[in-house]
Amino acid sequence: MRLRFTLNGEPQELDASPTASLTEVLRSLGLTGTKEGCRIGVCGLCTVLVDDLPVSSCLFLAPCAEGRQVWTVEGLARRDPAVVAAFVEHEGMQCGICTPGQVVMASAARSELGAGAAEAEIREYLIGNLCRCTGYQSIVMALGSVVAG
Amino acid sequence: MTVEPALDARLAPRPDAAAKASGATLYAADLPAPEGLLEVVLVRSPHPRARVVRVSTAEAVAAPGVAAVVTAGDLPDALAGRRVRDMPLLARDVVRFSGEPVAAVLAGTRREAESAAALVEVDYDELPPVLGAERALEGRPGTVHDAPWEYPGAVAGEDAGPNVQSVVAEGDRAGVAEALGRAAHAVSAVYRTPSGQHGYLEPHAWVAVPLAGGRRLRLWGTTKSPYRLRDQIVACLGLDAGAVEIEPVPLGGDFGGKGDVVDASLCAALARHTGRPVRLLLRSAEDLAATDARHPSVIAVRLGCDGSGRFVGLEVDAVFDGGAYAAAKPIPSVNLHGALECALGYRFPVFSLRSRVAYTNTLPKGHMRAPGAPQVVFAVESAVDELAAAGGFEPADLRRRNLLHDGDADAYGHRWPEARGIQTLDAALAAAADAGDGSLAAVGTGVVGTGVAVYARPTPLPQSTSLQLGRLPDGRLEVAVPIPETGTGNHAVVQVQLASALGVAPDTVVVRQVSTGSLPRDPGVGGSRVTVGMSAAVARLAEAWREGGGQGTVSVEVPAGSGAPALAYCAQVARVAVDPETGELRVLAVVTAVDVADIVRPRSHQLQIDGGTVMGFGFASMEDLLEDEGQVWASNLGEFRIPSAADVPALRTVLVTGGRGVGEANVKSVGELANVPTAAAIANAVFDATGVRIRTLPVTAEHLWSALQERAAAAAGAGSLP
Ligand code: FES
Ligand code: FES
Repeated sequence: MRLRFTLNGEPQELDASPTASLTEVLRSLGLTGTKEGCRIGVCGLCTVLVDDLPVSSCLFLAPCAEGRQVWTVEGLARRDPAVVAAFVEHEGMQCGICTPGQVVMASAARSELGAGAAEAEIREYLIGNLCRCTGYQSIVMALGSVVAG
Repeated sequence: MTVEPALDARLAPRPDAAAKASGATLYAADLPAPEGLLEVVLVRSPHPRARVVRVSTAEAVAAPGVAAVVTAGDLPDALAGRRVRDMPLLARDVVRFSGEPVAAVLAGTRREAESAAALVEVDYDELPPVLGAERALEGRPGTVHDAPWEYPGAVAGEDAGPNVQSVVAEGDRAGVAEALGRAAHAVSAVYRTPSGQHGYLEPHAWVAVPLAGGRRLRLWGTTKSPYRLRDQIVACLGLDAGAVEIEPVPLGGDFGGKGDVVDASLCAALARHTGRPVRLLLRSAEDLAATDARHPSVIAVRLGCDGSGRFVGLEVDAVFDGGAYAAAKPIPSVNLHGALECALGYRFPVFSLRSRVAYTNTLPKGHMRAPGAPQVVFAVESAVDELAAAGGFEPADLRRRNLLHDGDADAYGHRWPEARGIQTLDAALAAAADAGDGSLAAVGTGVVGTGVAVYARPTPLPQSTSLQLGRLPDGRLEVAVPIPETGTGNHAVVQVQLASALGVAPDTVVVRQVSTGSLPRDPGVGGSRVTVGMSAAVARLAEAWREGGGQGTVSVEVPAGSGAPALAYCAQVARVAVDPETGELRVLAVVTAVDVADIVRPRSHQLQIDGGTVMGFGFASMEDLLEDEGQVWASNLGEFRIPSAADVPALRTVLVTGGRGVGEANVKSVGELANVPTAAAIANAVFDATGVRIRTLPVTAEHLWSALQERAAAAAGAGSLP
C-alpha cells in the first residue's frame, strides 16, 4: 500500500506491506540507527518519535504512520545535536546498540519530563530502554543533563 | 618502558561515541545487502531429543521467492566447535536440543524465507530426553551422543563415564575430609544456579559472500575473536588456510556470547552451496532460546575452620549442565575456568575441587563473563557466611582472618607477591558504613540487612597479537587493530595508549579494526586480557614507529608475554530490604571495592564496574531462562528479564589504588570482576535481614516468601514442643 508521512522533517512516500512494522520500513530506507532488538516492545532499541512521542517502532504498524511526523535518531542527531553531545560527554554507552533508542528518549524527555526531573523519575522514564553494558548510571546522567538544558 | 598516559588523553571522549549516539555506526545487521543476497531462516526442532525421520521440503521449495531449502544431506558432513567439534551445522538423523536447526530456508527476502520455513515439514520420532546434569552423569535415561570421546578435540575419554563433556579435578579430597573431621566448625551445603543468557541486545548476525566460485569466502558478523573464528571455520569445512577472511564489524555487546562458531560456519557452508551471498539474522527470541547460554550449576561445598576462625579445608564439587554440545566452550579443558578461581583469594591448608560438565538434551552452554565464577563464588562465599554463623564469627572478620597476605600461596600453591584482599574488603566496608551520602542509608519497608562477598581473579599475561601503524592522507595516525570494539572501550584504550606513547593528542589517532587478511594474528577478546595484551603491543608499536622515524607503515607482532600475572580483588557490600509479608527483595545499594594498579581510561574502567555489578545483581535476583523439560520457557526479553534502569540498586565504587599490575601499562583487569561476588553479597544480606539462607538463585519473591514461611513454620513447630 501507498504510505505518506514526514520523515525527519522531509515528506516521504513509499510502498509498504500493510503488515510491515515501522522498524522494517525505516531500516529498508537505510535508516539503520533504528535497531531491531526484542521485537516485542521491551528493549527500546527501535525507539523513534511519532508526532513527538516516543514509540517502539517494532510494535508500530507502518500504515499507522500515515500523515504523521516521524523522527529517527539520524534526524534527531541533526535537529538536536546537544543530545548526542550529552551522551558523548557522559559516555552514556559502551557497545552502543541501545544508544540510538536512549538518545531518542532523551530528546523526548525535554518536553515529557521537564528540567526538574528527579533521578528516580528519569530511571522510571527509561524503563523501556534496556542496556546490558553500562549499568545505566552514565545514561541517567546524560539524560539528566539533557532535561536540565 | 612504562607508558604513563597523560591525564588529558585518559579523559578524552570515546572515539566511537558520537557515531554510536547518532545512529551512524553500522553493526552486522546494518551493513548494506550485497548484490544477490539470500536471507536465511532456520527451521528448528521443537523436541529436546528425537530421531529425524523425514524432512519434507517440496512445498517450501515451491513457495514464492525461495531459492533453496537446505538440509544436512546437502552440506558437507562437518562438525563445528571452538575446541571440541561436536555440533553439526544442521541436525543429521537426530536432534539433541529443542531449538537445534534442522533445515535452512533461503529466499530473496526474510519474509519470504519465514513464510516458507513454516511449510517445511519434519517428522520426528521422539526419544526420552537426558535432563539434569547429575542424572546425565549417571547415564540416565541414555546418552546424548553415542561416542562423544571420538569428536575432534574431545577431552573426556570413554572411561570418564556417560555424558561427560569435561572433568577437572584438583587438590586432595581425602585430605580435606580428614581436615574437616578435625575442624572446630564445619559446614556442608549445596547451592544451585539457573541457566541464563549474556543478555547482549544485538542478536547474532552473519553475512557470508562466496568468491572465486566458493573457493574463498568473506564473512561479516558478530564475532569477538575473528582470527580464531577464521581458523575454526576452515577446520570445520576442510578449506584451505587462506580461504576465509573475516571482515571488521563492531559488536552490540558480547559478555562471552559472541564467540560462537556454528552459525558462522553454517553461513559459510550455505554461501558455498548456493554460490550466492547469504545473511542470517537471528531473531532476539531465537538468540535467547537457541544460542549458547550460561551453565546452570549444582555446587556442593564443604568448608571448616579452627576455633580461631582459620580455614582448615575447602572442598568444592561442581556439576555444570553443558547442554547438548560442547562446541561453544573455547578453552582447552572445555571446562569453566572460573570454577577454579573459587579458592584463589584465601589461604586453605588443604583444598579440593572437582568441576564436571555434563551433556544433556538442553540448549548448548558456553562461556559468559567470568565463566563458572559467578556460580562457584556464589556457593563458596555463601558457605563462608554459613561458617561464620556456625562458628559465631562476624562474616567480614572471618574473611579477614583468611584472605591472602602479600607473598602468600593460594590453594594451588602459587605465590602472589601482592594480595590486597583485606584492604579491598575494608575499603568496601568503610564506604558502606559511610551512610552520609544518602544512597546507602537503608530505608524502606521490611527488614534490612547487609552482606559481603569477595572474589579474586588473576590478570593474565598478554597473548600474542599484532598491530600496524600508518598515516592517513589528512595527517592523522591510523592504527590497525585485529580486535572488534565489543563495547568495553578497547579501541579507546588503544587510542589513549598510543597517543600517550607518542606524545600526541588522542584525536590525532584513529583506531580501525581490519580484516583477518590484514594482520597476522590475534587471540580475540576474552579472558579480561585485552587491555594487558594491547598495551604490550602498543608499546612495541610506538617504539618501532619512532625507530622508523615516524614514516611509512610499521607492523609489529608481539609474542605472548612472560613475567608474573597479578591478582586483583573485588569486594562487594550489598544492602537489602525484604518485605516479610510478600518476600519481595529490594537491593538498596551495592558498594564495590576494586583492587587496581594504573587505569588506562577511567571512564571505560568505571563502566565495566557499573555494568558488571548490575549483571551480578540480575544474576542474583531475576535472570533465569526457566529451562525445564528440555525447553527454554523464558524465551524473550519480556520473560527473560534483565535489569532496567529502575530496577538497579544505588551503586558506589571505591578504587583501592596503588597496586602492582601486569605489563607495560601496569594494569589489573576489571571486566570480569564486579559481576562475580554480587549474588553472594545479596544472599548474605538476605540472611542478615531475615535469618533465611537462600541457596538457590535467583532470589525471587516467590522463592523468598516460601523460605520465610518454612522458617516461620519450623519456629512455630519448635516452639510447640513440650
Ligand atoms: S525491538 Fe522494539 S522494543 Fe525491542
Ligand atoms: S551500551 Fe550496550 S546495551 Fe547499552
